[in-house]
Amino acid sequence: MSAHHGAVVTGIGLVSPLGRKPGAFYDALLAGRSGLRRPEQGHPAAGWLDVAGISPEIDPLEVLPATEVRAVDRFVLLGLAAADDALADAGLVVGRDVDPRRVAVVVSTGGGGLHTYEQYAHARLERGRPGVSPYLLPGMLSNMATARIAIKHGIRGYSSSIVTACAAGAHSIAEALRLIRAGDADVVVCGAAEAPLHPTIAAAFTNARALARGWDDPVEASRPFDAGRNGFVLGDGSAVLVVERSGHADGRNAPGHADLLGWGASTDAHHPTMPRPDGEGAADSMLAALASAGLAPADVDYVNAHGTSTKLGDVAEAAALRQVFGEQGPAVSSTKGATGHLLGAAGAVEAVACVLAVARGAVPPTVNLEQPDPACALDHVRGSARLLTVRAALSNSFAFGGHNVSLLFGPPSTRRARLS
Amino acid sequence: MTGEIAEFIIQALREMNYDVEDLTADTDLGPAGLDLESLALAELTVQIEDTYGLRYSDEDTEALAVLTVGGLAAELAAKLAVASGDKPQ
Repeated sequence: MSAHHGAVVTGIGLVSPLGRKPGAFYDALLAGRSGLRRPEQGHPAAGWLDVAGISPEIDPLEVLPATEVRAVDRFVLLGLAAADDALADAGLVVGRDVDPRRVAVVVSTGGGGLHTYEQYAHARLERGRPGVSPYLLPGMLSNMATARIAIKHGIRGYSSSIVTACAAGAHSIAEALRLIRAGDADVVVCGAAEAPLHPTIAAAFTNARALARGWDDPVEASRPFDAGRNGFVLGDGSAVLVVERSGHADGRNAPGHADLLGWGASTDAHHPTMPRPDGEGAADSMLAALASAGLAPADVDYVNAHGTSTKLGDVAEAAALRQVFGEQGPAVSSTKGATGHLLGAAGAVEAVACVLAVARGAVPPTVNLEQPDPACALDHVRGSARLLTVRAALSNSFAFGGHNVSLLFGPPSTRRARLS
Repeated sequence: MTGEIAEFIIQALREMNYDVEDLTADTDLGPAGLDLESLALAELTVQIEDTYGLRYSDEDTEALAVLTVGGLAAELAAKLAVASGDKPQ
């Protein structure tokens, strides 16, 4: 592929349970450090969740003017903070470095502003109609991270949000590649934000028996592919990438972290919450991503698995990985052992991990993977990080609803490479 | 009465994070002053309706944008006087 048709990641921003600095986030992943903890008194999920991946607070006044913060949900603040950081990391000012009409924004969420909606539903029950602020809608709708990012940075090209639960972040990054390949944008601000750490969502996941339970030490609760795993750990946070046409990045002499090489998507058409047990839907999305990138399975050196730490999901994904890569497949780890499951934002945070795996030449271990489940036989990275030249890194995201998305990242096609 | 109403308006604006430090009766609600945008006017109207039991039409709400803080307080006092059957002075 000619350099000028590549799509390169020139900016990274994230707000994660392992902090807000991409470099420190990746250092923590490589060191096998967990970002999970018990929600303290005062946190909305205290008493409702034993353990969570809790990202740093975002001061609304850091990301929005004072008169615009009313009724704005945390997912919007998380999305804005990550987008601000990503654009700063890319050294890109819309209007100065790029025509605003050639910039797109696709920042999505799984659930949107449900906590804020719930707060105003309570206010309505107490005070009737006057209890509900007219600011509620621009504060909680699922497109509002995208919209507020566009308003703040003057982005005037394509914008949307893709609502596919836990595949929303990966879908949004896939959309960036589609837009750049189609010639519809030179720069795409893409990613996702999720803020599910509140009682109603916690209760729903608990009652669905989806969450890890019974762990005295919260850092042990998320253990993808481990024989003792018994569910996932909810997390909140966001990640946003600036994906840029390589020729455009070269034109402003901007270095790239990594290229976005390909994407694939498929649908299980099986069950609202359970994956196809044979992993066929997941395999289809990985094969589509390889085809999109023009790569063979043997070209992939690292897979950042969806790996949520649920009984069924991890087995189905392992089966899918063996279908695609055979028995001698690439190194695999799930960073959800360290971060928990950030739902819609998970794919975006894990895309950051893949970008940095390519840039750093080292891949992180799966935290708490002590006794690999024999039903999940893979080349697991566990115990410590592995030094590895990553020619291509694959990131999987699978969602409630049966949406599957796979992304592929590789070395940057820009003249200058970023020292991440 | 107008003083109490002005205090209510200032408090409502404060809760909407508008800077009310240097506010006077002559401060415009519109672009020359606080620059309340459409949602802010809608929110202020909801607070007025809820607190004083009044009803504002769309035109009434839009008309707020050209008033000053003192003007709004005076208009509100007049509406309340009409509503209670008193003749405004």
